[in-house]
Amino acid sequence: MKMTPRAVVIGSLTILAAVVFVTIWVPWVTRQTTPSEIYRERTELEAAGRRLYIANGCVYCHTQSIRTIDWGMGAERIARVGDYIADRPILLGSSRTGPDLSQEGGEHPDDWHLAHFINPRYTRPNSIMPPFAFLGTEKIDTLTAYIQGLGMQQADRRMARQRRWKNEAVRAYEAGPEANVAWLNQHVPQGWRDLPNPYPTSPAGLARGRKLYQDFCLGCHGPVGDGVGPVQPWIYPPPLNFTVLKGRETSGGILYYQIMNGITGTAMPYFKKDLESEKIWDVGNYVAEYFIDQSDANTEPRGIDAAYEP
Amino acid sequence: MSATGKLQPEPYETARAFCITSAFWMVVATFMGLLGATELIAPDIVRIGWLHFGRIRPVHVNLVLFGFVTPGLLGAVFYFVPRLLRTELYSERLGLVTAGFWNIALVAAVSTLLAGATQGREYAEMIWPVDLLVVMVFILVFINLIMTVARRREPLLYVSVWYACAAIALTGATYVLGNVVWVPDTGSLVGIPDAILLWFYGHNIFGLLLTPLSLGVAYYVIPKACRNPLYSHTLSLVGFWSLFVVYTHIGTHHLLQVPVPTWLKVISIVDSIGMVIPVMVVLINLWYTAQGRLGEIHADVGAKFVFTGTIMYFFASIQGSMMALPQVQRVTHFNNWVVGHAHIGVLAFSGMIALGGLYFVLPRIAGRPLHSRLLADLQYWLVLLGSAGFAVVLTIVGLIQGQAWLNGETVYRVLPSLYPYYVLRASLGAILFSSAVIGFYNVFRTLYGQRGAAA
Repeated sequence: MKMTPRAVVIGSLTILAAVVFVTIWVPWVTRQTTPSEIYRERTELEAAGRRLYIANGCVYCHTQSIRTIDWGMGAERIARVGDYIADRPILLGSSRTGPDLSQEGGEHPDDWHLAHFINPRYTRPNSIMPPFAFLGTEKIDTLTAYIQGLGMQQADRRMARQRRWKNEAVRAYEAGPEANVAWLNQHVPQGWRDLPNPYPTSPAGLARGRKLYQDFCLGCHGPVGDGVGPVQPWIYPPPLNFTVLKGRETSGGILYYQIMNGITGTAMPYFKKDLESEKIWDVGNYVAEYFIDQSDANTEPRGIDAAYEP
Repeated sequence: MSATGKLQPEPYETARAFCITSAFWMVVATFMGLLGATELIAPDIVRIGWLHFGRIRPVHVNLVLFGFVTPGLLGAVFYFVPRLLRTELYSERLGLVTAGFWNIALVAAVSTLLAGATQGREYAEMIWPVDLLVVMVFILVFINLIMTVARRREPLLYVSVWYACAAIALTGATYVLGNVVWVPDTGSLVGIPDAILLWFYGHNIFGLLLTPLSLGVAYYVIPKACRNPLYSHTLSLVGFWSLFVVYTHIGTHHLLQVPVPTWLKVISIVDSIGMVIPVMVVLINLWYTAQGRLGEIHADVGAKFVFTGTIMYFFASIQGSMMALPQVQRVTHFNNWVVGHAHIGVLAFSGMIALGGLYFVLPRIAGRPLHSRLLADLQYWLVLLGSAGFAVVLTIVGLIQGQAWLNGETVYRVLPSLYPYYVLRASLGAILFSSAVIGFYNVFRTLYGQRGAAA
């Protein structure tokens, strides 16, 4: 074959044109434009927040692309074509340096996001996300509006839940520690309230609990469990001071339930995805032993002796 | 010499301009990489808004692609195209103007991206006015090359010339398409088709720009350094055409776990495996050309860079084909394995060849030997150590992340186990930044130093 300039340039451009026709043009004209069942339009504020998301390169560390094999946040719903029909540009992302955000909306209340944007290590001590305090609170609020819309109609349902429970939580907090603890405990199912921590307090277990506390809890509840971690100025109701739990019927089961499920409406997130069962019991024991100064670990009812006991 | 004669650019002025452009921007690009890697281990170290990770990450990537590697390869192209065609470059003045605009485009890209003016599409971040500048410089390069071809005194076009002309023409076209320049405000399509187009374009920056230019340089440098004719003209033809047929199909392998049409995923997987053909055909051709003559390769530091680059091409491509397999991708997707792969491809393959081409042509365009062969050798070993280190460290990080996620661990839970590897990655970044500084010094002294010049 004789390679003339024409053959090289026209030939390669013809190949490109053919490939573009098949792999770009055909998918474009056959694209699906029906919205999915969770789709809704973004508000103007959310659209402005999305522009901030793009401007600050959030897409480099956060995907918006839930796969069939995912377990993490948002994995309840696998992404569909109809979720993305208004995304220009689409922000699937290519790396999970941080978690996927497809269904982030309503996972936390707005004040948690404010503290988290100011410095992510306030709420998540091991986070490697940049601090976004430089944006200022107004832009952070705009960005938060976008984040709280991720998940569209599902996010809206979660946000409605956050708002409803926030009202109750604020009322309970303002009624004083006695009423607050009563309110907190009363929403835990009875079975959990009657359940002591089945794991005996051991030095090894406490050491594990301490490590977990530092990695997950310290930012809000503080190094000594008095609720004045670095997050405290930014959220309301403020983080719980554990000492108010003493003598107020807070069982190991209640601690477990609240850590596992979180307290919707407050900045207390759920940890069931981050922590397995033993870890939640361990951190509960640590909090009870060191901060509440009152532990029901390994008391009746205990059931059949557990095989793990020394 | 007449008064007007002094205003005429000297031969190879364009090649010199692109060489120094590449050497300079390699310093900036690797610094951005080092800074980003440092922020991943110490996220509170920089509190300046325009220097946080989300801003410098696209600057690093775009500078490596368009500031370091592409100009480096073009530095060699602007030398060998006229040589191979037994003529002079169509216009050195146009070439210098092109290099000037190229640098203006890079400064514009860096400042807009740092300011947060971005289209948010990976590899296609640059905003519309910068896009136009980039398209313009590609058109200027193409005019200069094709006019040189038109005025050639050598009737036969050597394979390096095919690759150079095709790379510039194809990239000009895919850049316009991939950046959706007919939609100036967002520079994007909407929904899933935008993802398909983006990864078509993103992958073609490697497939239609870096790879053909690198192969063009390798096809020039290796036979030249070995003083051996090319092993096979037929293999050159097969490798050239199959590259464009196969590589352009595979962008969708970035979207295997996304709801795009299944037939498109099948095409991308099949052709990703098919990439073995263009890759091995070219490598067999180049390696057989060098057979028994590795001593000559070793004797020239430029050829040493280039030959190492061809070995890295093998690793990057075979790994890339494997990564397109859905079962493999369950582990490797969305994590640092891919970042490791990118560093093998762009730094160890095309970056090495860009440096090799640059060092190979530098004594010839400067009219004197390299300022320091020792420093060039040192840079070779630092780049080799750095890129091999990236490959190992980032692959380990990717495996930790991928396996942990498959087992249901949250992203947050896995972070502490990545920390030591992130420290290693930043250390390797420091090695590469040092190598870039050394390289810039060496290139600068070779081109503009006073040593050996007539008094």
